[in-house]
This record gives sequence, C-alpha cells and structure tokens, in this order.
Amino acid sequence: MSGAVIGFHEHEAQAEHSPPAPPPRGIHRFLAPGWLRTLWTIPLFFGIGAGLVVLIRWLETWHPIWPGSIITTVELTTVPLGFLVGIGGFDYWFRYASGAPTAPEDHSGHGAQSWKDYFRINTDHKVIGIQYLVTTIVFFVIAGLLAMFMRAELARPGMQFVDNQTFNGLFSVHAALMIFLFVIPAFAGIGNYVIPLMLGAPDMAFPRLNALSFWLLPIAGVMMVSSFLVPGGPFAAGWTNYATLSIHQPLGNTFFSMAVQWAGASSIMTALNFLVTIITMRAPGMTFWRMPLLVWANFTTSLLVVIATPFIAGSQFFVMFDRVMHTHFFDWTAGGYPLGYQHIFWFYSHPAVYIMMLPGFGIASEVISVMARKPIFGYRLMAVSLMAILVLGFSVWAHHMFVAGMAPWLRVPMMVTSMVIAVPTGIKVFSWLATLWEGRIHFYTPMLFALGFVSMFVIGGLSGIYLAAVPIDIHASDTYFVVAHIHYVLFGGSLFTIFAGIYFWFPKMTGKMYDERLGKLHFWLTFVGFNLTFFPMHWLGLQGMPRRVADYAPRFADLNLFISIASFGLGASTLVFLYNMVKSWRFGEPAPANPWRSLTLEWQVSSPPPIFNFDEIPQVVGNPYEYGVPGARHGVFNGERVHEEEQVPV
Amino acid sequence: MRRGSIVQLVLLGVLFGGGAAAVALLVPWLPDPASEQADRIDFVFWFVTTICIAIFALVAAVIVYSLIKFRARPDDDSDGPPVHGHTGLEIVWTAVPAILVTAISIVSAVVLARNDHLPQASAAGPKDPLKPLIVKVTAQQFAWLFTYPAYGNVTTSTLRLPLHVPVDLKLKSLDVIHSFWVPEFGQKQDAVPGLDTHVVVTPKRLGTFPVICTELCGLGHALMRSWTTVMPRADFVKWANAQKKATGGGASGGATAAGKTIFVNNGCNGCHTFKPAAANGTVGPDLDKLTEAAKKAGQPLDAFIRQSIVDPNAYIAPGYPKGVMPETFASLPKPQLDALVKFLSGGSK
Repeated sequence: MSGAVIGFHEHEAQAEHSPPAPPPRGIHRFLAPGWLRTLWTIPLFFGIGAGLVVLIRWLETWHPIWPGSIITTVELTTVPLGFLVGIGGFDYWFRYASGAPTAPEDHSGHGAQSWKDYFRINTDHKVIGIQYLVTTIVFFVIAGLLAMFMRAELARPGMQFVDNQTFNGLFSVHAALMIFLFVIPAFAGIGNYVIPLMLGAPDMAFPRLNALSFWLLPIAGVMMVSSFLVPGGPFAAGWTNYATLSIHQPLGNTFFSMAVQWAGASSIMTALNFLVTIITMRAPGMTFWRMPLLVWANFTTSLLVVIATPFIAGSQFFVMFDRVMHTHFFDWTAGGYPLGYQHIFWFYSHPAVYIMMLPGFGIASEVISVMARKPIFGYRLMAVSLMAILVLGFSVWAHHMFVAGMAPWLRVPMMVTSMVIAVPTGIKVFSWLATLWEGRIHFYTPMLFALGFVSMFVIGGLSGIYLAAVPIDIHASDTYFVVAHIHYVLFGGSLFTIFAGIYFWFPKMTGKMYDERLGKLHFWLTFVGFNLTFFPMHWLGLQGMPRRVADYAPRFADLNLFISIASFGLGASTLVFLYNMVKSWRFGEPAPANPWRSLTLEWQVSSPPPIFNFDEIPQVVGNPYEYGVPGARHGVFNGERVHEEEQVPV
Repeated sequence: MRRGSIVQLVLLGVLFGGGAAAVALLVPWLPDPASEQADRIDFVFWFVTTICIAIFALVAAVIVYSLIKFRARPDDDSDGPPVHGHTGLEIVWTAVPAILVTAISIVSAVVLARNDHLPQASAAGPKDPLKPLIVKVTAQQFAWLFTYPAYGNVTTSTLRLPLHVPVDLKLKSLDVIHSFWVPEFGQKQDAVPGLDTHVVVTPKRLGTFPVICTELCGLGHALMRSWTTVMPRADFVKWANAQKKATGGGASGGATAAGKTIFVNNGCNGCHTFKPAAANGTVGPDLDKLTEAAKKAGQPLDAFIRQSIVDPNAYIAPGYPKGVMPETFASLPKPQLDALVKFLSGGSK
C-alpha cells in the first residue's frame, strides 16, 4: 500500500514539473511513435517475414520458394509486430533494454484532450478503458450483423443467400468475435476504467503494458474479419475449431489460430495487470474484505485467465503446426490423438465461460446494491463463492465431451463437479434476491439490465442443469438446445451485465448523462427480442434440429421463420443503444460526480475523474455497501481523515 | 415478514410455478420415444424439470414481488434496512441446492449405467446374432454406412433395426469427427477417426426416423442425413438374410464382386450413380459416363479414375464444386484401390 502512496507522489511531482515534449516536425513525424511510423514499419516487418521464409527455403532448396500460404502464416505474426512497433508499443522497453537513455516520464502519453488521443498508445487506464469499450462495441456490431445473415439464411429451409462454406464461416466468425473480441475484452474495458478508481489508485500497476495489451486486440479482430477475404473463405470449423476437421481446412483457419494468440496474449497481459494492481495498489485501509465485489470478480477472473488461456493458445498452435508444419498432434493417420484437442481446448474454454461471467456477477452486485439502496446480502459469501467457482471451474471441462468418445468413466465425476458449480452460483442468485428484499428499488436502466441478467441467467443456469445431467446431455448436445443455453448465459447473462455496466458508469466515463428514456426502450426491446429469439431454440434442439446447419427439416420451418423475425428486432434494438451512446456522449446533460449516490470510491471524484484519479489519496474506512447505515463511509479524503489504528502514514 | 406478504408471495410462486408447468406440459418438448433408452432419458428430463420449475417459481416470485412492493418513488432518497446477511438463510440456500443436484446426479448416473448396459448372449448357448445385434457404423464426409457383420457384412446406407432387440452400434469415422444421433432414440455418440466408439439402442417402436450428424464435419454437414427403420424382428431377419444372399456374402466372389463391395462399403453409392453397383446418388458426377469424362480431361481412363479417387481436386467435372469429394480414399490399400479402379473402368466400357 505504501508503494501506491509513493507512486502517487511521483506522478503528481512529474506531472507538475516536466512539461510534455513539443510535437515532432517534418521527417521526425515518421520516426515518432504513431500511425505515420506504421506506414514504414508494417512494410518493413512484412519484408522481414517474407524474407525469412524465402531465405530458409532457398537455403534448404525447397520449392516453391514463394509459398503463399506459409508466407501468410508468418506474416500474421510479423505484420502485427510491425504495427505495434510503429504505433510505439515497445519504445520505452527498447530503449531500456538497449541501454539507451529512457525518456523521462512526462505523462504526455496520459489522458485525452481530444479524440485523437484515443487513437494512439495511451497509458491512462481511463482512456484505455474507453478504447477497449468502443473497440469491442465495433466488433459486437460486426458479429451481430453476421448473426443477422445467418438468421436470414435460416428463415426458410433450403439454401437461399449463402453456400455451405460461407454459412459455416458466418457462425464461426460470429462466435469467435463475440467471445474473443466482445465479451472478454468488454469486461476488461469496464474493469480497466473502474478498478483503479475503485481501489483508490492513480492508475493500473503497469500502464505501458496496459496500453500494449489494448493494441493487441484490434489486431486479433481485424485478423478474424479479414479471413473473409482469404482464398477458400473464412475459418469455418466453428469457434471450437475441432481437430481433425480444422487441420484439413483452407488457409482462413490459420487466421483464427493466430488471432486467438493475439487476443489471448492481450487477455493474459491485462489479467496480470489487474492482479498486480489489485494486490499492490489498494488505497490505505482497503483490505481484501473491503473491496467492492467487482474488484473481487476481476481478481478471480484474472486468475482464471492467467491459468487457463495458455491452454487455448497451445491448442491453436498445435492445430496450426499440424496444418502448416505437418506435425501430427491430432492427425490419427500418423498416430495423433483427435480427442487430445478437445481436452486441451475445453480446459481453457470451460473456464472461459466463467471468464465471461464472473465480471458480470461483479457488475450486477454493484448495480443491485446501489439501486436497491441496501448492503449486498452476504458480502463475504459472495466473494467466497466467486473463488469456489474459480476452483470448480477447472474440474468440469469434460462435460463438453460426454458424447465425444472419451473414457466412459470420466463422465460421472465430471457431471458431479458440474452440478456442484450450481451451488456457489445459486448462492449468488439468492443473495441478489435477498439484497432486493425490502430495498428502495430505483429502476434506472442499469438496474433493469441487472435484473434482466438475474432472471435470464437463472433460466440459463437451469438449462445448464439439464446439460450437466449426462443422459439428457447425450440427447441434447450439439443441438439448438445448446445454442439456446449458451445464449441465455452469454447474452442474457454476460451481455446484459455489460450493458448494465456501460449505462452505470457512462456518467463517470463521459461526464454526461445518458438518455434514460432511450435506455429503458433499449432494455425492453432487447429483453423481449432476446426471449422471442432464443427461448424457442430449446424446443428446436430437443425435437431434433442440430446446430451449425444451414439447412434443416421442413417441419422446423415456421418456428425458424419466427426466430429470424424476432432476431431482426433484437438486432435493431442495438441501434437504439448506439444512438443513445453517441447522442448522450455528444449532447447529454452534464453528469454530477455521484448520480447514483454510491459509496464506492470512483463516485467520490468528479465525472470524468481528474487525470490521476484522486487529487488526494482516499483512505478506506469501511465496507463498500453500507447503505442504510447512518453516517457510514467507505472512503474519506485527506481533509477529513479519521484516525484508525491501522492507518498507514501518508 | 408479515403474514399477508407471505400469502402474496406464495400466490405469486403458485402462479409462476403453474405457468411454467403449463409450458412444460402443454408443449411437446421431447420427441415421441422410440427406444428404451429414450424412455429413461425422458424420466431424467422430467425429474430435472420438476426441480427446475420449483426453483424458477421461487426466484420469479421473489423478483416480481420485490419489483412491485419495494419500488421506490423517484424522489425517495431513503435507504433500505442495513441487513448484511443471515447465516441461517445462507446455510439453507447452500444446502438445499446441494441436496437437489446430488439427487439429480444420482438419478442421472443410474440411468446412464442402464442405458450403457448391453445384454450379452450367454457363452454356453447357441450364438444368436440378435443378442445383441452388432451394426458397424461408418461415418465419412458426408454419408453414413451401416454394416451387419452377422449377415455377411451386408452394407447399406440406411439403417434397419429389429424391434425390441438390443443393438450395439460400433462407430468408426474415416476422416473427421462425426456424431450419430437419432432424436427418437435419444442416444448420441461421436464417431472419432482412429478411435472405436459405440452406443447402445434398443428400439421399442416401429417407424422410420432420421439419422442426423450433429458434429460439424465440413461443407456438407447439414446434408449428412440418413434414415433408420425399425421393423418387426422376423421381417428384419428375413430382409437381412435376403441381402446377404444377394451380395454373395462379401468380397469373396471374384474381382468384380470385390470392386463392387469396395465401392459400396466406401459409400461411393451415396453420391454417385453407377449402374453395375445399382448406385443412383446424384451429389457427384455420374460414373456411368466415366469414358466421356476421361476424354474431356484428356487422360487415359484408368489413370483418370485413379487420380479422381486419390486426388479428387486435380480435375473437377464441369458443374461440380471443388472440395466436396473426400480425399480420404487416397488411403485405401493398393489392392483395394486397384480392384476399385478395375471395377469402375470395367463398368463404363
């Protein structure tokens, strides 16, 4: 904690005493970090990549010397590196590592004066948080449009608009973008903005790493989307990319394998940053048991990310090696083991479900407590159940493989652990209900989304019980029942909490109030459209419609048409959200510092907060959710500091 | 808590529970079961559904009650009572779900064990091919093949099963992962290349049901469908024996018969028309016109046929898409490949 205090003074001192360097002129504009420099670093690294391949093949006398697919694979590593070098992601570390004098930190890379500051390497966690959110919403819209194409094709049986390969590409890219470019990083964005503020810290522990981890993200997204332009079409083996199908796919598949590496690296670096920030940069008095539940949620999520993400990275490297380098990890004809892929993949991808859910639990806890004007019910058990989900989450992966042909004895233990996860999850739901009980509930948009989340997540959780029970799963797996289930969990669950979080912290982030009427309209359109779209899918799946098909039995035609119409309405509801965000950010009413009368620290500073968050160090003196306790405070500032025995000298 | 509010809460619970039960009962959620396994799966389904309706009714009642009763007026700045928790309640909602999921787990494990069980013929008695009936299921992009070892390896592209006879479906894949599913049977199992998997089905209802591939297997995944017909036991035996006689019991009837068996066993008939094999598939080019096709490709007939099998994308017949014909046949053993080429070239001369 004292580290945070010292860091704070350093920031303050330097911010006052070293004015930012003047902007570069002339040729120097091409040498200074930024978009102009990427104009030559990207071609340079393209040349390095292609040159390496050609050189090695020439030395080994392999033919052809210019193999397009191999060069593309290498370029998917080197071109993004060229971009990162150009934009300035590594400047400080290069100078440091090579022994050159490092530029004194003048904080010129901190904060945003104009929109242009959002388009460069920026070390301010508040800028990075908004960069994350805007980027992820862009990919959310793209992925949503892909879903609209899919529903258009599925409106009638038979093939109308796209061919099979394109359709397989549509749902693969839709899922990959939603997971890796929307849900996971959107939570990282909200966490990035809010968590240092909640902790009473001036920034994240590693601001340069933070900036770098953001800029890896658009790389992954552009890579996934651009796979549509590759000969042979986009990656089309599902976001699960199961071997052995994936090792026989066209070039586009490599774009998935590599994009996952970039998104995964971004994810891991952010998680490390969160962990170090939460462990070392809490304000004086902020013990673990005084942390808001969003901080707890991001703490557990970050542990999941750093432990699990390397597994998906590994699984995709193996697939790529099988494809490009003719290894045989999963190629059964040469002694490979196809099921090995699924074990490695799900060892990440089941915990990934919690990576996509726990931060949402945190957001729901914040919103529900503040807007029901009551302390969160059973705070410690809420935090402990997050940790329980973290631990149990690593013991359930094979419930995705009940029909996969794995060892039969593995099924019952995996069913039991999967069932047990319902217990900590149930604790959370019941505690939210108990928090509502006898509260003074204010139905602002974030609260609507939080309550929508609780009710939809209950349905998703209950359909999860069906899928955990092995005999039912044998019938229902790989059908539309699963599609319904994951959308109740990830759309009704994660997406609703992301919306709740965006509306909740919108005043803090932008200094403007969003339009409450449009917000409510957005909620109701989304809530109704969502249920009309996804609830009927349970029936389709149980009756016999498999997932991932462009064509289906004629008897499912009417319901599929209904679902398609509902989904277009659901898609249109996003326009209300986008309009509200743009309009309110530009023309909204100025937001007060604390519109929700919240106790947590981020609301005790102006909206938007000062460049280093706190003009004076807050001291935490109580729990974060003491609504209804007369005179209760969570944090106090220097001028009104109370003296506690545990107080750390400032 | 006042008595009146308890009554209201219970009423809401009954309302939501009743509504959910109506949705559960009035909509035919599950296909009409056609196997003993599906009956047991349905039992687990309804067991879980009962518990889920109770939980849903409780949660929905509390949420809706709270939304109505505890709604604050916009100008109400007061806070709720500072209740931080209640150890007794927290123990209850940890313990009760734990008990419920334990019950579901036990029921599921018992049903799973029974659905996996395969009655075996006693070693001492005479060998009965129907106790259990073994069917080899071969999956490949994008067709199913069913082989009956007890009937001279008769191979068909639709599955016929005898009523009330336990069937052991032994699954094999030639290329990528596929999954065998008959919704009315409730049973599903992936066919994994390089791995032997199996699934047990005991049909209990006559009829014809779809066989569906449920694991994404590439371009033609949505088209990888077949049918299964459950027929009376005696009819099945009659059919199987007739088939056995007609195909001469497998690959032992000379080169042409061998080539034909290879043709059928590898599912060529699923996609191609070829009179000597009585095949009438229309997905791929018509193999009765191989001579013209070879001329068009400018290659000698035998070389053309061989190349089209081992490297199907080397020459694509006009009007047909690339990449549909599996490349897996390149791995056929040389004698079989030779026999197949001979069979095909012989048929079109």
